[in-house]
Amino acid sequence: MAISTRQLLALQVRVIGALVLRETRATFGSSQIGYLWAIITPAASVAVLVTIFSLVGRSPPFGNSFALFFATGVLTLEYFNKLSNGLIGAMDANKALLTYPVIKVTDTLFARTILITATYILIMLLFFGGLVLFGLAQAPAFPDKVIEAVLVTGFLGFGFGTVNAVILSQWESWRHIEKILTRPLMFISGVFYVPSLLPPEAQAVLWWNPILHLVEWFRMGYYPNYDSRIFDAWYPLGIAIGLTLLGLGGERLTRKKRT
Amino acid sequence: MIELVDVCKGYTQKGVRKNLIEDLNFTFPDDRNVAIMGHNGAGKSTLMRMLAGTEPPDSGRIYRSTRVSWPLGFSGGFNGTMTGIENVRFLARIYGADTEEVLDFVRDFAEIGPSIRLPVRTYSSGMKARLAFGVSMAIDFDTYLIDEITAVGDENFRIKSKKVFTEKLKRSNIVMISHSVNEIRNYCNCGLFLTRQGIRFYEDVEALIEDYRRTLREGF
Repeated sequence: MAISTRQLLALQVRVIGALVLRETRATFGSSQIGYLWAIITPAASVAVLVTIFSLVGRSPPFGNSFALFFATGVLTLEYFNKLSNGLIGAMDANKALLTYPVIKVTDTLFARTILITATYILIMLLFFGGLVLFGLAQAPAFPDKVIEAVLVTGFLGFGFGTVNAVILSQWESWRHIEKILTRPLMFISGVFYVPSLLPPEAQAVLWWNPILHLVEWFRMGYYPNYDSRIFDAWYPLGIAIGLTLLGLGGERLTRKKRT
Repeated sequence: MIELVDVCKGYTQKGVRKNLIEDLNFTFPDDRNVAIMGHNGAGKSTLMRMLAGTEPPDSGRIYRSTRVSWPLGFSGGFNGTMTGIENVRFLARIYGADTEEVLDFVRDFAEIGPSIRLPVRTYSSGMKARLAFGVSMAIDFDTYLIDEITAVGDENFRIKSKKVFTEKLKRSNIVMISHSVNEIRNYCNCGLFLTRQGIRFYEDVEALIEDYRRTLREGF
């Protein structure tokens, strides 16, 4: 073929860049306020929950800020959920785009992942920045670990979302089943508690939830002295790699059936 | 150049298998304009989508070494909630063209006035078609795929379109589906005829038209 790898790479970057801009416009509307809302909504919902818990008088399970403890858990989980929910419909929503041969299905998945990741990084910066500013938290103790945790969360969300999108393209009911399956994540991911303090039987079961490891990862990076007896970095990373391969492979195999 | 090697394509719907294209081997020449003719349901549009790359063949391979357009003549790829400007910019971006240059050309060519700043869903089908045609003319392709380009707009616009299109044809070539013998005669100098018995290539477009007319009279 007459096309070099460099040209292909440039094409890929161009297409994904254009799709990210388009998705931004489609998701947040034409006004700048739209994007502002996308950032304010999750931040505000966390703030409301934090306020309620503080009013009830619960003491934080770890450290001395309930807001910080809760945010480290819930923002990690929300980021994962957003990716999973956002990608599941990406193939359907962008069917019309496939009129243009330069755009492949996977490009729409990559573009959404980039947009959601950028949004959540901004949300986290604002939220944790706000906490630090108001004296409710310290800056993260090991920023590199926090970044690792966010990256692996994004990776796992991409893999899970891609697998979901492939299943959905073959089986319409999957959208509802996926919702039911991911609902309990809020309770089994260590958002409200320190997993290492649970009875060993509970720990043994919760260990299988990769999101729990990511929440632990994030907290170990944020707190100077958060010690996890459950955490294993290779587990969520392995699942992320497995799901991504499964998702992309599945996309390739079902490509002919979808069109 | 677009080269098809052992291409097969068919659809299975409700358990009924329908083979449209069987073992097609064909190379679309770089310097000629190819007509695709055939009765309704013969697989013309399917063949075109495969040439564009929007649909994969069931088996076989398709090699493309030139910039091939999307199948022109319909505006299904526009996003209704996005404005005309946003849609145009998006297309310019994915094809690596200068967004403002393309926009200037389309603004000038499509003549839809301030509507270009409104969401595409508010457009009439004529306006959409003008916009779509304008964009495809603003971006340089080596091969234009044209699926039933029915005349868009008023007399004035048609004359203008034809002028721009003829200008394009000096540097690009086309693959065109049409039922209109006049269009085929105007633009094409060879052609493929899709029949139930298989696909035939005609070096001479007049021979193609003659066979096409005969099958129309005698039934397929």
